[in-house]
Amino acid sequence: MAEEPVLSVSNLQTVFHTDKETIRAVDGISFDVHEGETVGIVGESGSGKSVTARSIMGIVESPGEVLPGSSINFNGRELTELSDTEYEQLRGSGIGMVFQDPQQSLNPVYTIGNQIREALRINQGLRGAEAREEAINLLEDVAIPDAARRLDEYPHEFSGGMRQRAVIAMMLACDPEFLICDEPTTALDVTIQAQILELLDGLQEERNLSILFITHDMGVIAEIADRVNVMYAGQIIESAPVEDLFANPKHPYTEGLLGAIPGEQADGESLRTIEGDVPTPNEEATYCRFAPRCPEAFDACDAVAPAHVSVGEDPDHTAACLLYPEEQTEEERVSHHRSLGAKSRERPAGDVNE
Amino acid sequence: MNKLVYLGKRIALAIPVVLFGLTMAFLILYAGPLDPVYSILGRKASEADIQRLLVDLGYRYPNGQEVPLWDQYRMVMTDLFTLNFGQSWVVQRGRPIIDLIGARMSATIWLGWWSVVIALFVGIPVGLFAGLRANTFSDYFASAGGILWRAMPNFWLAVILSGLLSAGGALSFYRDWGADYGLATKVVGTPPEVNNLFNVIPLFDGIPVLEMLFLPIPELQNMAVAFKWILPGALVLGSASMGNEVRIARTAVLESINSKYVETARAKGVSARRIVFKHVGRNALIPLLPIIMGEFYLLIGGSVLVEAIFGINGLGSLYLRAIFQTDIPVIMTLTFIFTIILVVFNITQDLLYTIVDPRISLDDVEG
Repeated sequence: MAEEPVLSVSNLQTVFHTDKETIRAVDGISFDVHEGETVGIVGESGSGKSVTARSIMGIVESPGEVLPGSSINFNGRELTELSDTEYEQLRGSGIGMVFQDPQQSLNPVYTIGNQIREALRINQGLRGAEAREEAINLLEDVAIPDAARRLDEYPHEFSGGMRQRAVIAMMLACDPEFLICDEPTTALDVTIQAQILELLDGLQEERNLSILFITHDMGVIAEIADRVNVMYAGQIIESAPVEDLFANPKHPYTEGLLGAIPGEQADGESLRTIEGDVPTPNEEATYCRFAPRCPEAFDACDAVAPAHVSVGEDPDHTAACLLYPEEQTEEERVSHHRSLGAKSRERPAGDVNE
Repeated sequence: MNKLVYLGKRIALAIPVVLFGLTMAFLILYAGPLDPVYSILGRKASEADIQRLLVDLGYRYPNGQEVPLWDQYRMVMTDLFTLNFGQSWVVQRGRPIIDLIGARMSATIWLGWWSVVIALFVGIPVGLFAGLRANTFSDYFASAGGILWRAMPNFWLAVILSGLLSAGGALSFYRDWGADYGLATKVVGTPPEVNNLFNVIPLFDGIPVLEMLFLPIPELQNMAVAFKWILPGALVLGSASMGNEVRIARTAVLESINSKYVETARAKGVSARRIVFKHVGRNALIPLLPIIMGEFYLLIGGSVLVEAIFGINGLGSLYLRAIFQTDIPVIMTLTFIFTIILVVFNITQDLLYTIVDPRISLDDVEG
């Protein structure tokens, strides 16, 4: 991929200050999204997926803070340096976002039409009959039947799937170049999920949208993403094109996640799980955060922070694990990661990714 | 269901409520240990006078037989519901009650109006301000003020305030304020010109109708004097509601501003100002509505107290005097009027809900 990425995140660190400690919800992650591409972020609850999305949108609220040294580059603009009003202008027309819970993403006291027209007015300057016309078109685009009548209804008169379509229509009204979807299908049942994914696919093709898709559902990721980043405790621990990730998962955590998908087991075998919970990342990672739950952990895992190294044939497939590069001995691997880690502390962590 | 049909049903359902309230009042006043004859004639009245009065008041038939309670009840209720309020027994013996109320109503409305307006226009903005700056020093200051203001009972606050204002000292500037322009230096008592501010005109057979705010405003100075005299009372009367409004407005704003729909609105590029006024404002109004409407209930009970302490000659102090002097028809009439007002506000509140919050539908009422 020679062209410049639309969005380039590097060494993003978002922390939350509490009375007791500082929680490093997102701890130095880096990834790129290219034009027309869908990049997935998967991970368990609490791994920092949603905070990543909010950091990009610039809606991290106090006591949260995006640390200096983080870089979010969108079409050549450095978002971390924008003022509040500049960010306001960027949101919507530049980057749109579809949230997890369609039940609550729409303001209950205004009609669907009112909320779509608001987006049209702010981002495209459309008013009156023109805005209404466009709002009807958008609802039709997201396959809501009888759009003209539906426009005057309130959110509580829509079903869950309808509401998520309405939210997507509202975001399309902003005509964004880049769309962040934060678990848009999690609250919906499976058939509606499939419809929404299909809808997003179609819209992406039509408008050449770039999408950052966040979910904990491996099945959804397999369907929609071109490239996947696996997050664990605030860090990306494996990054690969989607087919490669599912065919050859390298990090023990990714292997565990894929093993935990129902329906992938041989007959009689019970569903595998990963023991334990995601730890709360409240100190600098000088060790592998997955080590306590890792079936293949060894002594060095508690002492050396793993860096991203190329694994497998595709050079774009990287993992942060002391088990790689496979061809080296354990001692070589540990010292390799140690030196990469030292380098990354001198330079922004983002460079390690490339 | 149509709003008008709903309204009709609510009014029909309100009739038993009014009837029950008045029946309770009737039982207490007529079956209770009250002796209006004694309070009219005093201790030394002759037996003949007493007999004549008992007949006059409707307790006895002219032949000396007692009127059964049930018949008294029927007469009293018929008179009330046909708006035939009769005359005062004790407070101003022989004066039509409608005159008595008409003369005092404007002072009470003047008091009530300002207590609602002050509470609304101070309480809600302060609450919004605190909610938008949650957990900062200014929020703590505003919230603590709201709680303190809420916690002071109005009978206590009224006594303290009237004492402080009339005693002079640090607060004497208020008493002296405007004296140079001929404003009276009084802070307690009925605002003298207040009756001229409203035109009480008789309509139908003797029901006074207020032409408040529709007539050209009379002299500004009268207004200023009347405002100055009523302000301490209005402040006390609105105090509890003001404190409530600060607290509820703050909570409502906080709840709304942290909601997903505000996040979504931000994601589509809505400006911070517009989010507060459009998306947060209307949602925050929903929990505020019962508090605002609740003010009117407080007004009726509170005005009795506040008018007594600040010496305002309004409906509240009339009610209190009527009770102390066993002026039964005045008590019944005022109870009737207060009950009607409460029922009307209750229905208004339910209708307002459906306007503010589209999720509340009248269709679900009655299944």
